[in-house]
This record gives sequence, structure tokens and C-alpha cells, in this order.
Amino acid sequence: MSSSKIQELKKNRQLNYKGKKNQLKYGLIFIMIVSFIYLYLFRNNFIYSIIWLLGLFIGFTLQKSRFCFTASFRDPIMVGSTSIFKAVIIAFIISTVGFAIIQYKSLGGNIDTDIMKIPGQIAPVGVHTALGAILFGIGMVIAGGCASGTLMRIGEGFILQLIVLIGFVIGTLLGARHFEFWDKLFISKSPAIYIPHYLGFPLSITIQILVLIILYYIADWYDKNNNMMAM
Amino acid sequence: MAEVRIDCMYEACPIPLIKALKKLNNMKIGDVLIMETDHSCSITNVIEWAKKQGHEVDYAEVADGEWEIYIEKRR
Amino acid sequence: MIKGDYMKFYQKIIKKPWTYVVGGIILAILNIILFWFSGKTWRITSGFLYWGMGILEKFGLEHSNWYYFNVYGNELTKGKTFFNNEYTILNLAVILGALIAALLASEFKWKKIKSKKQLVFALLGGILMGYGSRLSFGCNIGAYFSAIPSFSLHGWVYAIFMFVGAWIGCKLLFKFLL
Repeated sequence: MSSSKIQELKKNRQLNYKGKKNQLKYGLIFIMIVSFIYLYLFRNNFIYSIIWLLGLFIGFTLQKSRFCFTASFRDPIMVGSTSIFKAVIIAFIISTVGFAIIQYKSLGGNIDTDIMKIPGQIAPVGVHTALGAILFGIGMVIAGGCASGTLMRIGEGFILQLIVLIGFVIGTLLGARHFEFWDKLFISKSPAIYIPHYLGFPLSITIQILVLIILYYIADWYDKNNNMMAM
Repeated sequence: MAEVRIDCMYEACPIPLIKALKKLNNMKIGDVLIMETDHSCSITNVIEWAKKQGHEVDYAEVADGEWEIYIEKRR
Repeated sequence: MIKGDYMKFYQKIIKKPWTYVVGGIILAILNIILFWFSGKTWRITSGFLYWGMGILEKFGLEHSNWYYFNVYGNELTKGKTFFNNEYTILNLAVILGALIAALLASEFKWKKIKSKKQLVFALLGGILMGYGSRLSFGCNIGAYFSAIPSFSLHGWVYAIFMFVGAWIGCKLLFKFLL
């Protein structure tokens, strides 16, 4: 595939490469540690033990696939590449189906349940949502990582991301401190909108998946037609 | 043919990609850009971008958590 | 033979990065399993707030005086503390999972901070994200990755305006960080 020039450079460089998978043993030690913690949790709190296990897999997957939500938003703008964005859309299609089944079962078919009792992430939508999203969007691009990316990169050894975490803690504290102001201004006047309340389950799922598929094709088309920097 | 080296150690996304892009603009066809990076995302992110641009590209691991990415300018 | 198979497995699963699509599919499935077993979806930033509040309480602040902890189900569930809760478990597990992945591939490296500018931007970015996440009831996970599949409209609104934020962020990045 790559040209002879590159092969040559690569070969010369790799001759000097000494340490190959010499961190493997530390990895195995950590696997043992997390297994002991799992056993401890399993005996004391079953739900915690499952959350622990899933968290480990989430972290592992994030690192292996370099799954970066920041890049999924930033790369289309900066370099016209949508490959992570498309992967996020595929994830949405799968989780939409899964979440729908769980919510449907939990509601027992009674869709008009009080909105606070529906499981999942349902929150008021309004000006505050937009404002929060804009602040978050700016923050993640200049900090070089979102919430999941920050955790993953701390695991990779980025000291910079520990600083981001400290910023996160300060920011959430400030946000919580000022919450009363924002609640009185916007949030208390905004409704939480659960789409199946208006369209029913089958139609909501169909429309959401259709929208996601259309977005996928738009992203694919955009990727092919935007090579250069859009800035 | 010339070799140009850029140091992207300790840089977070998307700085390595932008640095590469700026450097490549000033290079001749056939020149090779060598990027030193320790950002694990670069070896997917930069490589995917370079391939899409039509350049020749490959990478090698030079130490634990450090890579060199080779991009040969093609257009 | 077995050794060859092992090396192939090692190269493919442990050493080489996976594709984004594989990552997305696995993350979606893990989020569904999490939702199924715990009744809660994947969230991150509330855990950061809990840690911060836990530290402040060590200095004598009382969280129940805060308006935030008395509305929208933000109060601590019975039997949980700011450090002993499901978010702490999940966040620590994500860090350790990534650490194990990096170590097995022999990619772990302490990466120091390069410049003061980098540090300031990281801190500022963190604060902006933290503050934003309180306004919008979650971060890119809680108000986006877990909210859109929950059929809540705020997830979609969040996604659209995160693009706006990312665009402004890109402009700032070009102006100040390069």
C-alpha cells in the first residue's frame, strides 16, 4: 500500500524500537485488581457489581476505538470528516430500539404515565438546553475532550485531562450553585417533552429511526464532498 | 525528496491534525512529513484524514505510547 | 499453531485500534444493558458534581441548603453518599477500563502538560462543560447519548446546539491555541 519511501523510513525506525508489549504485565495486574473489586461488590451490592463491570467495558471500548464525541462534532466542522458522527448515529439506531423495549416494558403499555416516572434521560427542554449545549460545545473543543473522553484519557495517562476534570468539578459546582437563578428564569417554564406521549410508541420509533437513517446519508454525502477545511 | 519532522508530543486533538495540514500545504509533492505524536487518537484520526486527502500514509510505534506517522504528499 | 492464533488475536483485538463503528455498536449495547439492569442510563457529570460537593462538605458546607439538591430529583438517594454512589463506580470503572486497554496494548504513557496556555484552556474548557451540563441536565452522554434514545426532545435540541458550540470552539481554537 504505502510507498517505498515510507517503508524505508519505517524500517529504519523500527530497528531502534526496543520495548514491545512490556506493559502487558501491568495490564494483567490491573485486571486482577478490578476483578477483586468486582467480587467485593458482587457480595455486597449486586447492582454496583454490574455497573462496575459495564463501566470497565465502556472504558475499554472507548480507548480501543478512540471513540470521541468531541471529534464527532468537531471533525465535520474542521476537516469535513464525519466517520465518528456516522458511528454515533449507528449507536443511536441500536440504542433507540433497546431503550424503547425497556421503556415499553417498564410502562406496561400505559403510555400516559407521569413523565417523572418514565425511566431514561427525560428532562425539560427550552432555552437552558440550548445555552448549556453551546457552553458544553465550546468547552469540549478547547479542552480537547468531552466528559467520556476526559475519563478515557485520564486512563491513558494524560495529566492535562486531570486538569479538565478539576475544571469539570468546579463548573458543575458553580452550575448547581446558580441553578435557582436559571430555574426561575427558564427551566421552570419549560416542559419535558417525551415524544411517545404525542405520537405513541410505534410511530415515535419509526420516525426517530428514519430521521437517523436520513442523517446518516446526509453525513455520508457531506463526508464525500468536503475534503478541505471549512474554516 | 525532503523529510519534514513535526513534533506533536503532548498535544491534544485536534492540534496534531492542524499542524500536519499547515505543514503539508508548504511541501512539495513527494516530500515526506514525519509526525511524532503520543496521542493515541492521532493514529486513527490523522491517518484517516491523510488517506482521504489522497496521500500515502503509514505509521510505526516508536516507544510505548509514542508513534511516528509518515505522510508522503501526493497532491 | 496456538501461539500463532494467540498472536493474531492479540494483534487484532488488543493491539490495533478498533473501527469507530465497532466502538459505537458496543457502546450502544453496553448502555442498553446498563439501562436494563440498573434502571438508569449512562451519565457522567452528575458524578463530578457529587465529588465536588463531597469535598465541600468536608469543609463544612451543607448540601441540603442548596436549591439544586431539592429539585428535579437531584437529591441523594437514601443510603448513598457523595462518594459512594453509582456514578462514582461507573466513572472509576471507565478510567480503569481505559487504563487496562492502554496497558495491554503497551500504549500507556504519562503525558505532561506542554504549556501554560494548554493548562488554562483545559481548565476553562472543563469549567464551561461543567456549568453547561447543569443547565442542560447532562453532558454529551446524559443529555445526548442517553437522551436521544430515551425519546426526550431535549436530546435533539442539545445535539443541534452542541454543533453551534463546537463551531464557536473551533474559531477560538484557531485564534488562540495555534
